[in-house]
Formats: sequence, C-alpha cells, structure tokens
Amino acid sequence: MSGLRRRFAPRNDGVASPAVIVHGRRLSYQSRRRLFLILLGAPALIYVVAIALWPLARGIGYSFYDYSLLPARTAFVGLDNYAALWTNEAARQSIVTTAVFTIAAVALEFALGLGLALLLWRDHPFQRACLALLLIPVTVTPIVAGLVFRALLAPDYGLIGYYLATSGLSSPHGLFGDPTTALSTLVAVDAWQWSPFMALILLAGLKSLPTDILEAAEADGATALQRFRMIVFPMLLPAVFLALVLRTMDAFRIFDIVFATTNGGPADATNVLMIYAVKQGLEFFNIGFASAIANLMILCIAVFSILFIALVRRADKRANEL
Amino acid sequence: MSRRPSARALFAERSALALAVALFLAPVAWMITTAYKPARDIFSIPPTFAFQPTLANFVGVFRYFDLAHLVESSLIISLGAAALSLTIGVPAGYALARARTKWAIGLAYFFLAVRTVPPVATLIPFYLLMRDIGLLGTWWAVILIDATLNTAFVVWMMFSYFRSLPKEMEEAALTDGCTLFGSFARVALPLVRPGIIASALLCVMFAWNDFLYSSFLTRAESKPISVALLTAYGTKDITWGTLGALAHFSTIPIVLIALLLNRYFVQGLTRGVH
Repeated sequence: MSGLRRRFAPRNDGVASPAVIVHGRRLSYQSRRRLFLILLGAPALIYVVAIALWPLARGIGYSFYDYSLLPARTAFVGLDNYAALWTNEAARQSIVTTAVFTIAAVALEFALGLGLALLLWRDHPFQRACLALLLIPVTVTPIVAGLVFRALLAPDYGLIGYYLATSGLSSPHGLFGDPTTALSTLVAVDAWQWSPFMALILLAGLKSLPTDILEAAEADGATALQRFRMIVFPMLLPAVFLALVLRTMDAFRIFDIVFATTNGGPADATNVLMIYAVKQGLEFFNIGFASAIANLMILCIAVFSILFIALVRRADKRANEL
Repeated sequence: MSRRPSARALFAERSALALAVALFLAPVAWMITTAYKPARDIFSIPPTFAFQPTLANFVGVFRYFDLAHLVESSLIISLGAAALSLTIGVPAGYALARARTKWAIGLAYFFLAVRTVPPVATLIPFYLLMRDIGLLGTWWAVILIDATLNTAFVVWMMFSYFRSLPKEMEEAALTDGCTLFGSFARVALPLVRPGIIASALLCVMFAWNDFLYSSFLTRAESKPISVALLTAYGTKDITWGTLGALAHFSTIPIVLIALLLNRYFVQGLTRGVH
C-alpha cells in the first residue's frame, strides 16, 4: 500500500545470477533470457494494442468527422465536434452533471467508507465476518442493483418509495421521477454499491500503520480524536488518495446503474457523459460526435491520473517522514 | 486501535457495524424475497412485508426465458474472457516483473492506463469493426473486448505478485539445469497461485456482471443473463418477482463465489488496484 514510490524504486539488479557467471556463455544466456521474456510478454501487449489501442486511435479519427450511419454521411469537420461539446447545451449540461455526480458520489462514499473502515479496524472474527458481508454489494450485478432500487423506490408500490411519496417526502413521481432528486438518488445507489470497496482500501491502509506509534501516543494520553487527526489520518493519506482516485475514475464512467434506473432522464437530469455518448453513438449512430465525447472523457481521466500520481508521491513522502 | 477497549465501547462499535451490515444487505435481501412473493403481494398497496411464499416466479422465469441458454452465454463469455486474459496476462506480468529495463515499468503503467479508459471509447469503434468482419452478435465479440480490460488487469496484478517473489529460487533452478521456461512454469508459477486465483475470480466477475459491452455486441440468441434482465423489464406479464427470480441466477452465483473465496476476492480488490 505504501505506494508507487517504494515499489518502483530502482532495484539493485547488477548482482550476477549464478547462471551468468559461466564465461563464454554470458552473452548468449543474457540474450536468450531477454528473448524469453519478450516472448512471454508479447502476446498480451500485441493483444491489448490490437483490440484496445487500435479502436481508440480510430475513435480519435472519427471525432474529426461528421460521421453518421443514419443517415449515412461522412465529412471532415475538424474540431467542430469538440466545439459542440461546449456550444451544445445538452453536452455542456452532461459535463456538469457528470462532474456533480462524480464529486458527490466520491465524497459520500469516502465519508461512509472511512467510517466503516474505522469500525472494521479491530482484528476480530466479528469484524472479519462483517467485512465479508459488507463486500456483497460490490459483487452484485450493477444492472440488478439499479433495478432493485428502481423497484424499492417506485412511488406506487415500492417498499420505500410508496411511503416517501404518500408522506410528501418525495414528489408523486418518486425520487427517480423528479429532476431535482434523481441525481442525488443515483449518488446514494452508487454509494450503496461502492462505499464498502472504499472501506476495504482504507482498511488495508489502516492495517499497515505501525502500531507502536499509536500505542505510544495513547500512553502519552492522546485522545482517540487527537490520535486520528494527528497520526492516523496523515499516515493514511496514501491510501486515501488511492481510494479516492479509484472511485473517481469509476464514478466518472458510471453507466449501468443510470441505464437501469433513469436512463438519463427525467429531463436530462441524470444524463451523464457515458449515457450521452452511448446514446449518440450506438442509438443515433452519430459516431463522430460520440467519439468526441468519449475522447473528452479519456482526456479528463488522463489529466486526473497525472494529478493523482503527483499527489500520491507527495503524500507517500510525508507519511514516510512522520 | 487501543489495546483494551471498554466493554461499552466494544458494544457500541459492534452495534454500529451490525447496523451498517443490515442496511447494506437489505436491498439484496429484498431482491431475494421478492422472488418468492406472489404478484399481488409485490404490488399490494400499501406495500407489505408479509407474504405467502410461492415458487410461481421461478415457473415464470422458465416460461418466459430460455434460462439454460442465458446461463450458457454468460458462462461462455465470462470463462472465455477469463481464460484468454489469464493465458496471455500471467506470462506478461512475469516478463515485466523480471525484465531489467526501465521499459518494463513503463509498460506496466501502460496496462494500468488501459483499464482507466471509459468503455464507450473502445466500444464504438470496436462495434463498427465487429460489424465489418461479421462477428457482431457473436460471443466472440464480447469475449475479445472483455479480455482487453481483463488482460490489462491480470498483467498489472501478476506484475505485483511476481515482483514480491524473490528471484533466488528461479535462479537456483536455472543453475540446476532447469530451462528458462521451466523456471517460470514450474518454480515461479506455483508460488503465485493465490494471485492467479484472485485474478481469475475478478475476471469472471467483471465479464459476468458486464452489461454495456454485451448489450450492444450480442443478439437475442447470444445475449447473456445480465442483458436479459433489463430487456425483460417492461415486457408483458413480467413482474418484479420474475426479475427477482432471474436475479437468483445472475447475482447469487457471484455473491456465493466471492463469499466462499473471500480471501482471494479481497486480495484481488486490494492488490489489483495499485
């Protein structure tokens, strides 16, 4: 857990392995070894480049064309598709919706995940059993999760939705049927599925903390809150950043749960970028514009990853200095 | 954590945890019980917890769905994608962990980056490609694209496992006359079995739960159970009870596997991610 820096610190590989010492065979062994490793690694690399990278490159190409299948037309338009991401109101709205959803979902999941991780910290069979059970939502098919909440929250017969609607806590159309509550309800469903995962990553960080420092602080009379604020949290930061970045990337790409519940509605209130791109590309076959949306998403994730690596390196350094 | 917590603190901690577990499991429990409710209890107003258990919904599942075929599709897609990704991903993870160049770390990061790409970005060009070469609507299309993300995951995960494995044993085997391939397959590979199990588990789970790729790349005759779940909704005569019953076959197998192999599942979730 303690991070990228240590894992990728240069290792001392200069030590001759026993087989290398034999004179005369040295070169041939080294080149045989290199060839062997290349042969082991090549299939995966070729495969991923062919099936993932090549389509991505074609997607970048499509994004410069007004390329549509229905009606069939292809015309080079330069950066027009990208300009439309900002001038087109639906696209702009979709960017904002995705940003709001991602930030809200990750913040809620972090709060719940940290709480759960602290409760799960004690090494005891009870805690271990609870962790195993808490991870069940992570394994539930996301489409099923969406459908289950759609049924539970249905205003006319849903176990929760009915009472929310009759008591006036939600609109008569239910939480998913009202543009003002649909997005926050999706945030809650996403948090139901992924807070336990956040808790798991934070828990791994908590368990790797050196216990002697905590015990010393306790012996010195530090309260639980002080220990958390001054020692646990700063040392946990690498795990915190890792958990945040993993969930941010996934929340940014949310599709299944939205598709199963609101499908972008009502009134585009939950029209996140993935839904928007899939609709444009695979329902309306507006390939050029859909590719531009997808590429914008890749760009956001790339910028975000670089930012994250910088943050983790700094947090790692700080945590090691503590 | 403090060494000697008071009994009251322990009780509060456990109650809070038990409450959290109950809340997080409630929707799953509801999904399971719905499958045994007759339609009139599902749609009763006001909604009720009490119901007369019935297997009618399971009869409905078999009447409206070709369940054997749906499960067959899901199995072929998820096991096919997992087998392909493990076959090419595990050796690649080993190669990257043992290579002595800086390139290896760059390539490992490349595989990690592939996993962060939003699926729609590859799906649209891949869809057109599959259409052009006539694989659209077949299991192959889904297996091929599921295996890209899975391979990237397996490479990164196994890279981490092989790196934490000391090289000395492989080197000793080599001096004893073992071939290079033997030092990989017979010495290193058995030592990372937990990593392989964890990778396989998450590969299967990813492909089994996938909806986006399968829904656009398969047709009626090749669709897996995750797609059937949604297309079923809104069809005449299909109730939430039928969906609950169908979810028994889509969700519960994965939940059970994750619980049975919990140690590997947790390893996969924590080690595969960084």
